[in-house]
Amino acid sequence: MGRTYGADICIVGSGITAAMVAAKLAQDAPAKRILVVEAGGWSTAPAERPRARDRWLAYGENPWQRDHLDDQNALGTTWGFSPNLHVGGLAMHWGGVAPRYSPEDFRLRSLYGVGDDWPIGYEDLEPFWLEAEQRLGVAGERGPARWDARTSDYPLPPLPVNWNLAQLRAAVAKADVATWSTPSAKNSVPYDGRAQCQRCDTCYPVCPTGAKYTPDVTWQQLLAAQRVELLTQVLVRRLEAHPATGRIVAATGNGTDAAGTAVRIEAGEFVLAGGFVWTAHLLLLSRDARHPDGLANRSGLVGRYLAGHRNVGGYLRLPGTVVPGVNQQHSLVSHQFMRAPTDRGRYLRHDLRLWESAEGREPRGRDDAGTPLYGDRLLADWRARAGGATARIRAYYDVLPHRESRLVLDPARTNRFGDPMPRVAFRDDEASAANRGWQEDRLRALFTRIARAAGGSVLKLQNSANDLGQEHPAGGCRMGTDAARSVCDPTGRTHDHENLWVAGAPAHVSASCCNGTLTFAAMGLRTAAHLAGTASPRPAS
Amino acid sequence: MSDALDSSRRTLLKAGAAAAALAALPACAVEERRPASDEGRPADFDRAVLDAAADLVLPSELDLVQRRAATDAFVRWVEGYVPVAEEMHGYGYPDVRYLPPDPAPNWRAQLEGLDLLAQRRHGARFATLDRTARTALLDDVLRPLATDRLPAPLAAPHVLLALLSHWVGQADAWDLAFDARIGRNTCRPLDDAVRQPRPLGPRSLG
Repeated sequence: MGRTYGADICIVGSGITAAMVAAKLAQDAPAKRILVVEAGGWSTAPAERPRARDRWLAYGENPWQRDHLDDQNALGTTWGFSPNLHVGGLAMHWGGVAPRYSPEDFRLRSLYGVGDDWPIGYEDLEPFWLEAEQRLGVAGERGPARWDARTSDYPLPPLPVNWNLAQLRAAVAKADVATWSTPSAKNSVPYDGRAQCQRCDTCYPVCPTGAKYTPDVTWQQLLAAQRVELLTQVLVRRLEAHPATGRIVAATGNGTDAAGTAVRIEAGEFVLAGGFVWTAHLLLLSRDARHPDGLANRSGLVGRYLAGHRNVGGYLRLPGTVVPGVNQQHSLVSHQFMRAPTDRGRYLRHDLRLWESAEGREPRGRDDAGTPLYGDRLLADWRARAGGATARIRAYYDVLPHRESRLVLDPARTNRFGDPMPRVAFRDDEASAANRGWQEDRLRALFTRIARAAGGSVLKLQNSANDLGQEHPAGGCRMGTDAARSVCDPTGRTHDHENLWVAGAPAHVSASCCNGTLTFAAMGLRTAAHLAGTASPRPAS
Repeated sequence: MSDALDSSRRTLLKAGAAAAALAALPACAVEERRPASDEGRPADFDRAVLDAAADLVLPSELDLVQRRAATDAFVRWVEGYVPVAEEMHGYGYPDVRYLPPDPAPNWRAQLEGLDLLAQRRHGARFATLDRTARTALLDDVLRPLATDRLPAPLAAPHVLLALLSHWVGQADAWDLAFDARIGRNTCRPLDDAVRQPRPLGPRSLG
């Protein structure tokens, strides 16, 4: 015997996008019954997180207990940990970094002749970025007006530019690089019932105080207010489309506990908020006689145009003094290079981040002669190298997705129910592939210029690890106005099924060159507003 | 690389993962092996040997009480270890990885070996040797194992390197090296971050 549930709106997934969608719908559609379905269960409770943090620091143990399903994993290069199926999703681990994209992100084709334009612009998303910042509690500092397009202050004052970052800010200013406190979903002051940040420096992977936003905060609030029903340990495995109308009539699946009970969820609207892997995966799994390539896939683009970015990083030695450990996880950011015109006719956009670093100033195990160092010799050697200032520097740069940047079903590997698991392979489009070497050379040259202008030098350079895929991945159900060239419309509603919506990362056309989580959340809020019928008409441009 | 991890922490985790490749067990088996409490298993180290070695491995700026406290903390750390627990797997991990098996048996044997070596060479227990003789023994044992970057404790090829690595991972060690009250990896008032950490002052020497 299976279990059947009914709701007005069914949200699949419980990560940060799903939490935003649910919160928005609970507010804007108060009469609607909202059912949220999560394949995993609850992970480490807030009261257990200080101990989990201690054990992570001591041993490298995973602080998030029961945060995945062993047999539900994507193959290939996924960067994020795709089996991360528990309440709150991967954003339980996130570092809380919450920048917006820039206006240029939405007009890459028009401005630079590369990639594709989005069907929406910065101004369409701005109210939802602000709402996401308010719901998450983002602390930030507006950058110089020339470089920062936002039209209002952050809801929380910025995390302090600490003593170390102040030294770094002064150093890189000599290269005419403007930096500001990285916007972060961490409480610079008490907010939303959560404490002020105490710079415990383990934001990633676990904040022991609750000062960093995690989606379980929203779920607990919604559950306490009885505004949602959260169905945990249920894996949605198929969506059923009505053969005549195409409307989705049910989501079906099974419990992920030992019983594995069959589950059927009937709802008026369905919102897929499972991130870039599981959203496309579910649509492809849901193929039927009328939809042999999967649901919402008339365009053939479900699972395609997976997008992300890469980075070039390094370590700089700079004049002055930087003391490692003041606040290692907070950084300076510059977005001035996201807004730059094309460089000598070739395309390069990137962000820039700077952290304090201990690189080259850590204790070492042997001296230059190979003599083991321990005791007094180790401390003396450490002290001799501890002075000065080092910084970690990193730039994410745009990588434009190829149509074949793709998620497919792999019948060779199945979960306990026999469902093929996704296989993911990122691929650069032609412009990105052609420019990659030049782009990375330019970034290395920029780091060198910054170091020299400050009177320092480059200690070490490194690229992102290629075996991880692209960072902050998105796409797979890209939005657009043409049903032949996109999966969902500019609101997130799928072209093929009037009551099926894609929220957050999967609807991205491209993935900018900065952390994407805030934009995933904002996109989810915007989709929820359209679903609830509360979205404002697009302002005249 | 994730936003938040610099190379040192990532190295620690990767070192654990490499060792753990030997111990890839299904998650259900891992759960069954977890101890019911934090008490763990006794390390059963020969404390006389460990303490005598710790007096050389740890800096002499730590007084005897501080050295014993650091050694006690290391032993508690060993005893609190859960073998083959899940490794952290956030960004940059495609699958579940596990920490290494219990290093304590090997480390016990290394302490016994050090004591036996002392008896072979000097006809006396390691703990009874003078500082010069003990230092010579440690140099001989550790020279072939020494690397530029200190290994993470769990990846240390010798118990004394694990002890040393455990100590340098503590906030107090960094404060001592940088002569500043940094409080690395401790929860501290946010507003104090804008000030340069104060020097330790004379009390730091114990």
